[in-house]
Amino acid sequence: MRNTLRFLKALLTTNLKASIALRGAFLMQATFMLLNNLIFFVMWWVFFDRFEEVRGWRVEDMLAMYGMVAASFGMFVVFGAGARDLTRVIIEGDLDSFLGQPKSPLLQVVCARSQASGWGDIVSGLLMIAWSGYMGVGAVVPALIGMTCGAVVLLASTVLIHCSAFWLGNNDDLNRAASEFLVLFSVYPKTVFSGALKFALFTILPAGFISFLPVETLRAPSFMGVAAVVGGAVLYAGLAVGVFRAGLRRYESGNRFGVRA
Amino acid sequence: MKYWAILGIAARQALAARGGLLGRLLFFWALMTIFSQLWIAVGPEYAVNYTWYLGITELVALGVPQIYIGIEQDVRRGDIAYRIGRPISYVGSKIVEGAGEFAVRFAVLATFGMAGTWLLCGQLPAEPWSLAFAIPLAFMAGLLMLILQALIGLSAFWLQDAAPVYWIVQKLLFIFGGLMIPLSVYPGWLHDIADATPFSAMLYGCGRLVLDFDPALAVDTAWRLAAWAVLLLGLLILVYRRSLTALTVNGG
Repeated sequence: MRNTLRFLKALLTTNLKASIALRGAFLMQATFMLLNNLIFFVMWWVFFDRFEEVRGWRVEDMLAMYGMVAASFGMFVVFGAGARDLTRVIIEGDLDSFLGQPKSPLLQVVCARSQASGWGDIVSGLLMIAWSGYMGVGAVVPALIGMTCGAVVLLASTVLIHCSAFWLGNNDDLNRAASEFLVLFSVYPKTVFSGALKFALFTILPAGFISFLPVETLRAPSFMGVAAVVGGAVLYAGLAVGVFRAGLRRYESGNRFGVRA
Repeated sequence: MKYWAILGIAARQALAARGGLLGRLLFFWALMTIFSQLWIAVGPEYAVNYTWYLGITELVALGVPQIYIGIEQDVRRGDIAYRIGRPISYVGSKIVEGAGEFAVRFAVLATFGMAGTWLLCGQLPAEPWSLAFAIPLAFMAGLLMLILQALIGLSAFWLQDAAPVYWIVQKLLFIFGGLMIPLSVYPGWLHDIADATPFSAMLYGCGRLVLDFDPALAVDTAWRLAAWAVLLLGLLILVYRRSLTALTVNGG
């Protein structure tokens, strides 16, 4: 366990360095993503300027939720963007080069790529949270836990979706669309959803664990709230590891001779 | 003739990629489901009209393929150097290729996506005939978006990475186009700014027809789309010439 954690730390550090290595590209991608998120929020600002609230949700709640999801998504793509390529890696037999290594192949695959634009998401997320007015002293730690757990659930769900390639073959387009659903359903007021759709958002598409519960750790910090967020993250991470391992038993080698350094 | 052949091949390729088409359709339905719930939560009086409005604007937003990526890759890899030697305009072929793919996506979204919107709303827009005008105009708007995307792709000559430019232009389209809510409910100053951009004609111009149908509005949108198409095509030709000069100076 300690070895795995040390390996994870080394991978995360390498990803951090990789994402900022090309300084020009890094700055451009991060800055434009920051602008992109802020410009996009103008739409919600116009919406709440006209309608004021949606079943108790006001513009500051949207800012908090958007901020939490943006920060979680940023953390996910900075440290684990490789998960988004998993279908291709499985189908093209590229897992071979990861399986030959002594450490967890899943950890290596998800940490194989870092997306510099994620830094723009993280910064815009933090700015939005600050503007929401919910960031009191008591909310800092729960909010950090909330956004980290949101990132873990995003990562785990992406892995789960792409693992379907072990059984269903090349369905990259559908898997990408399903991954986009995760974010899509996470950035709307939770009060909009009800019944079966709300149930689905805490199970099939865990938007509840990506945004609805984490944002509550910010709006109304509580021990139970944080425990639910952490529990959801552990559950989805465990599920992703289990399904990936089951999928590996069906994996067909691509007969690759390459070695990853 | 060559352009027709490219258009046909691109359309057949898009038809063959069924997973992509299905994914896009599911995404369209998911968006419509969320927004129909949102509008019901805001007020039942908005539910039908505003959901239909979004159905039309999303036809443009989700139907247009990202042709800027192919242009950017050709520029970055240097492939453009041998592609421009062919007896066909490079940018023209990219736009036509995109139009072929767009036509297939649009047909699928306009048929099944609109059917899904009908199911969600439980009724057609107040003036059902408005769809017969709004949908063809949305197709015109999509073609205009392809020209814009070609311009974004050419920005790779100077920036290398065109994706960030696309993100910003896409978000400007959403805001100044009135993707989610009609420009008529925007604050006056923002509505005025939006009207000075091509985005207003591309989304709001088509979507407003299902809210308040008037054939004169359809004609106005068609004229504005055509005027912006001429302007942006002129700009595209200018930028393309400049980029080819840059390519020659740098040795291809």
